[in-house]
Amino acid sequence: MIKIENIVKSYGEKENKQTILKNISLEIKDGDLVVILGASGSGKSTLLNVVSGLERPDSGKISYGEKELTSLSDSELTDFRKNNIGFIFHQYYLLPNMTAEKNVKMGAELANNKDYGEIIEAVGLEEKKRKYPSELSGGEQQRVSIARALAKKPKVLFMDEPTGALDEKTGRSVLDYILRLHKEKNFTAVMVTHNANIAETANTIIKMQSGEIWEILSNESPKTAYEIGW
Amino acid sequence: MVIGIKNSLKLAGIAIMSFCAVFVCNLFLNFNLDLVRIESELTAEYQTIFYDAVTATGKVVASLSGGCLLLTSVVMLIFYIKQYIHSHSKELGILKALGYSNLKIAKEFWIFGISVFMGAIIGYFSSFLLMPMFYEKQNQEGILPEISINFNLILFLLLVILPSITFAFLSVAFAFVKLKRPVIKLLKEIPDIKIKKFTDKNTRSKKEASFLTELRKATLKSKKTLVFLIAFASFCFSSMMQMSFSMDELASEMFAVMIFMIGVVLSFTTLFLGISTVISANGKTIAMLKVEGYSTGQCEKAIFGGYRPIAYIGFAIGTAYQYVLLKIMVEVVFADFGETVDIPEYGFDIKAFIICLIAFALLYEIVMRYCSGKIRKCPIKQVMESGE
Repeated sequence: MIKIENIVKSYGEKENKQTILKNISLEIKDGDLVVILGASGSGKSTLLNVVSGLERPDSGKISYGEKELTSLSDSELTDFRKNNIGFIFHQYYLLPNMTAEKNVKMGAELANNKDYGEIIEAVGLEEKKRKYPSELSGGEQQRVSIARALAKKPKVLFMDEPTGALDEKTGRSVLDYILRLHKEKNFTAVMVTHNANIAETANTIIKMQSGEIWEILSNESPKTAYEIGW
Repeated sequence: MVIGIKNSLKLAGIAIMSFCAVFVCNLFLNFNLDLVRIESELTAEYQTIFYDAVTATGKVVASLSGGCLLLTSVVMLIFYIKQYIHSHSKELGILKALGYSNLKIAKEFWIFGISVFMGAIIGYFSSFLLMPMFYEKQNQEGILPEISINFNLILFLLLVILPSITFAFLSVAFAFVKLKRPVIKLLKEIPDIKIKKFTDKNTRSKKEASFLTELRKATLKSKKTLVFLIAFASFCFSSMMQMSFSMDELASEMFAVMIFMIGVVLSFTTLFLGISTVISANGKTIAMLKVEGYSTGQCEKAIFGGYRPIAYIGFAIGTAYQYVLLKIMVEVVFADFGETVDIPEYGFDIKAFIICLIAFALLYEIVMRYCSGKIRKCPIKQVMESGE
């Protein structure tokens, strides 16, 4: 269980200070698929960064079970990410001078996962594993970044607009793959999106507006990637 | 346009090198040209021998330090322009997409020549401040008649105007070549990566290496100019420092101090520029490694680890180079003296080598520590461009 209590996060100083997250509190159950939905500037990506330990909040508490994230030192936080967290970004952030296979190895080695070849195969990149990111299409690059995140065998997977830079066809297939994996592996998944249709695939939908949680909805019958509009 | 005076001023390293090069070259070459004016006044044989020796020394020192600094400046300039184009890829791509030709954009790069001009002109005129003392030292035995200091226009043209024009032209030409990339690659900031074919053989051998080892190799391979810079910085440190020890015995204290100063400036500037570029060029990689959970120590090893052996190879080559060069120089400079003067013996200076090696190891590790600090501070959010 991830417990978030009274999180406040601001950027800038004095008159330029902008509070992005205003006293956010929520709980995320183990194995849940949560979508954080909001318009641009609502604070959803900042919430994801803070909850995943990429950024520190100004105040408040984040706990993963018994472990309090906000009290960890930088190196402890790095270690925590190494053992627990996987990331998928909409801009992929692959290492440009490494092949697809080596990019996946980047995540696999942290979890001592020698069988990362299976994941490459599962995301359908066996044929292209020796290609560099610049030789791959957007969808293929995103699949590499998914494989990299999964090769770490994360307990929690954070995704920031994972289909944001993809066309409908590729977007649907990538989303479908993520949803299937979530069902199979049963990890906790937190996805940020501005697309209300994508939110319909989640168990829990958190709607954000101007740095505050506006609504939390439980979705009893999540749709598949091919059932939603785009 | 995208390039302004500010960008040229950022090339402080090149300006410092131009300053040193022109300062040293003008000191020795101006002296040599002024010597020519009194050549007809030389009557005794010992005067002619001394004249030849002093002239030869001047030529060797000017070409050695000037040439070395000039070469470094060219490498640094090319390196900087490459980095500039890489980091301003989007802006340059937009200009090209709007219809600006490669030549029109490249022409803007002439402004980089200003850094050379600034360094050269300051170096040129400040050398005149030291000249009275230098002339006196060079002829302190009074073997030659009094040598007066003259302004030699040809040196001004050769040492200030010509390098400034050449560097401005070189900047435009190099930028022109580097801009010959598809607009889409510039806009999307897609790096140039040489695609190599995989064979069963190299796949097998690479399967053994860890990810960090492979990343270290890939980082080295993708930045060959940087490898050269690091090796060159170590080469300069090693050769110049060891040479300054020997110069104290072979020539004069003044030579020794001059060579020492040039060595320090050259190696520090190149090493610093090189390492700070490694950090900026690999910012995203470092941030991504940290996101995934790699420790600072692992990031440091992967990004900088490969440069350490290169640095020591540069040091070793510099040691051999200075030994061979001084051996040749002693033979050339003192060849005409015959038995009139005691020809100094030159042998490999173990003491100087050990001192320089320790100093180098210390300097290298200090710079690396500084870099580790930078990595520690490297914000993870650097990769989170979508952060709201």
